[in-house]
Amino acid sequence: MLELQGLSKHFGGVRAVDSLDLRITPGQIFGLIGPNGSGKSTTVNLITGLLPVTRGSIKLAGEEITNLPTHVRLSTGIARTFQNIRLFGQLTVWQNLWVAENARAQRERASFLSRWLGGERGARTRITRALEFSGLADKADELAANLAFGEQRRLELARAMAAEPKLLLLDEPAAGMNPEEIGALDDRIRQIRDSGITVLLIEHHMELIMAIADRIAVLNFGQKIAEGTPAEIQSNPAVREAYLGTAA
Amino acid sequence: MDFYLGLAQIIGVHTLLGLSAYVVLLTGQVSLAQAGFMAIGAYVAAMLTVLSGWPLMAALIAAGLVAGITACLVGFPALRVHGLMLVVATVAFGEIVRLFFFNFDYQISRGSIKVGPLGGEGFRQIRYFPENGWTTLHVALFIWAIVALVMAALWWMDRSRAGAVLRAVGEDEIAAQSCGINLTAVKVSAMTAGGVIAGLAGGLYAHYTTHIEQTNFTILVATFAIAYPILGGLSSVFGTVAAVIFIQGFLVEGLRFLGDWRNLLFGALIVLVMNIRPSGLLDARTMAALRRLFGRREG
Amino acid sequence: MLFVDLVQSIVDGLLFGATYALIGIGFTLVFGVLHKINMAYGAASVGGAYAALRLIVLIGGPAWASLLIAGIAGGLFGLLIYWICFRFIPLSNPLATLMSTVGMFLLAEEIIVHTTDGMPQNYPVVVSGIADVGELMIRGDLVFVFVCAIIAMIVLLYLLYRTKLGIATRAVSQQPIAAQLVGIRLDHINALTFVVTGALGGFAGALIGSAVGLLSPLLVVPLTIKGLIVTVIGGLGSIPGAIIAGLLVGVAENVFQYFRGVTERDIYVMLLLFVFLVFRPGGIFSSTAKRD
Repeated sequence: MLELQGLSKHFGGVRAVDSLDLRITPGQIFGLIGPNGSGKSTTVNLITGLLPVTRGSIKLAGEEITNLPTHVRLSTGIARTFQNIRLFGQLTVWQNLWVAENARAQRERASFLSRWLGGERGARTRITRALEFSGLADKADELAANLAFGEQRRLELARAMAAEPKLLLLDEPAAGMNPEEIGALDDRIRQIRDSGITVLLIEHHMELIMAIADRIAVLNFGQKIAEGTPAEIQSNPAVREAYLGTAA
Repeated sequence: MDFYLGLAQIIGVHTLLGLSAYVVLLTGQVSLAQAGFMAIGAYVAAMLTVLSGWPLMAALIAAGLVAGITACLVGFPALRVHGLMLVVATVAFGEIVRLFFFNFDYQISRGSIKVGPLGGEGFRQIRYFPENGWTTLHVALFIWAIVALVMAALWWMDRSRAGAVLRAVGEDEIAAQSCGINLTAVKVSAMTAGGVIAGLAGGLYAHYTTHIEQTNFTILVATFAIAYPILGGLSSVFGTVAAVIFIQGFLVEGLRFLGDWRNLLFGALIVLVMNIRPSGLLDARTMAALRRLFGRREG
Repeated sequence: MLFVDLVQSIVDGLLFGATYALIGIGFTLVFGVLHKINMAYGAASVGGAYAALRLIVLIGGPAWASLLIAGIAGGLFGLLIYWICFRFIPLSNPLATLMSTVGMFLLAEEIIVHTTDGMPQNYPVVVSGIADVGELMIRGDLVFVFVCAIIAMIVLLYLLYRTKLGIATRAVSQQPIAAQLVGIRLDHINALTFVVTGALGGFAGALIGSAVGLLSPLLVVPLTIKGLIVTVIGGLGSIPGAIIAGLLVGVAENVFQYFRGVTERDIYVMLLLFVFLVFRPGGIFSSTAKRD
């Protein structure tokens, strides 16, 4: 689904991401972990095009997308959530999803008028379904800024899903959540995968990622130091070294 | 009676001016070029009716188009830069337009007199309304019909997905991009729409005052344009109208007995409102509360 | 003969451009510290010069003293603007402080018009005389303006780089949160920035008055716009950029005036801004201005 080849990003002399190779096969939950500052978020920003690539290439479903602008990448099927939630606070919950759903409509070349003026009934049912899926059905007219923290996280996920992506990038979705909420998140991510969407999950919360990831890659200082199944990663000495050496 | 009709004309044109800035402000951009677009509309419309003998409606449409195309062209370089730089660029553009008309001569002989724009003297004798027998009432109704049309269009747009997209860009450009929104396209469209509306405002203005000159389109006018929607709050077009009525109706006309001192009030009022209600008088929270009060649902 | 005239206008422009550099520095410093533009700055600068002029006319005194008084008055106005337009307004809302300073700009301009009945006022001669250098004429008042502006810049750079307060100010502009953590009071630094830039502006306003020979409310808008252009061309937040851009705008203005006349020159100065926006949107030193 997603293929990174020799991907590098240098900030001046700092190699935030250094010759990273990744292959994510369709239908997986792929975990990306690493200590703070190891280049995880930079990788996400490179994949979504918010940062220009220094070297290397990014392919989505075999198609070269390295130099496409961000908004075009979304309509080719990449959606994301942000580590520090970025909702449209002064828009209602419904409008947040409506905006995002536009990308799907664009992809299907819905007629200009129906897309922009919102008469399309399909969009309506889709958004209603997304609201129910994330348990926000009764909050549709609330301003996003007025939601509780957990609800904002759910809305952000719903917004990413509204574009009906092929690949979903989740940047630390469990940050700041309590165990109960994490349990619910766990279920939701599995459901997303089971609906056929590939998930790239970046997470600090080891329990969550070990439980749901099909495959995991570990970054340290911008380089991939290990890749394998959760069991393989847990027993990998290099990974222990990276975590114990820096974080413990 | 004519006094109130005249006031209605002024309020109508200023409402259009405020709405032209409103569209652009929704995307989070501050344009101080609206007076420039208005000037372009005013001169184009007046030249077409006076010099070329076009009917008013056609001249107005042409004025809107020319101003809109200019706004689109300015939008591309200006929108490459962010927020505050755009303010500077648009201020400069507004002044370029003003100085252009300060230096612009294009006169033709009409019988014993010459008509057309003449540099600093301005453009006199825009006599379409008196020549065609329009009364002040007709003019006021005509202006307000156009205002109503533009307001309805914007109100409708505001409740459509296009409105949500404009506001999303204004809220958070990175998140908007990540939702598949083409920032340049959205911002330039908003700028173009703002230019068209400002051009209409200019065309109407030229015809009801019958005399325009570059001093009618200074940075003060550009400031009025953005002050209306900001003071009124960006939640709906009605905030803009309310602010225009308050400033033009109450501050400028109602307090005429204060003489020149009332000019001081405008600046002071802006400063005061920004201190008390930084998001405008009718902000999103107030609007949401009002909406709940009247039991209307969105979407 | 033609060539001499051209060189003459370049020299004059370069000398007078130093005042634009001062105004540009004022805009850019406030931007560096608060990431906001103080639209009232040009108006307050001319206001400072006016206040000094009135005081000198009222109580008498040497003409050069007006320059210092203008600096003090400008500093006070700066503090006033900070308190009225920034202190109590949430800085997270980008429109609010922009509007409040635009409001202040209009208010200050109106106050100037009111207190002077809109009439231009003669500014006393500080330095006069013309020196001939070859075929060029070097105007004494412009040389004086240039030297004063350079001295003001040196004083400012000394304050910024060699005093504790200056270092604190730069710390705030680079890392506001870290600066707060080490005990720097943000609002003190902000207020101080406004006082310093205000003083710089008042001084520049008085210099302009002395070079032009009069003060008029009509100076406010062009000065504001040129100051903003200098800030953008120099790169937002860059002091060396503002200095070079100020001189550049001064020269460009005079050269365009030489070729196209006084009524058209400003059109071309502003088009220069668009040239920069298209080809070098980050300004002359464009590496730092990319973040916002």
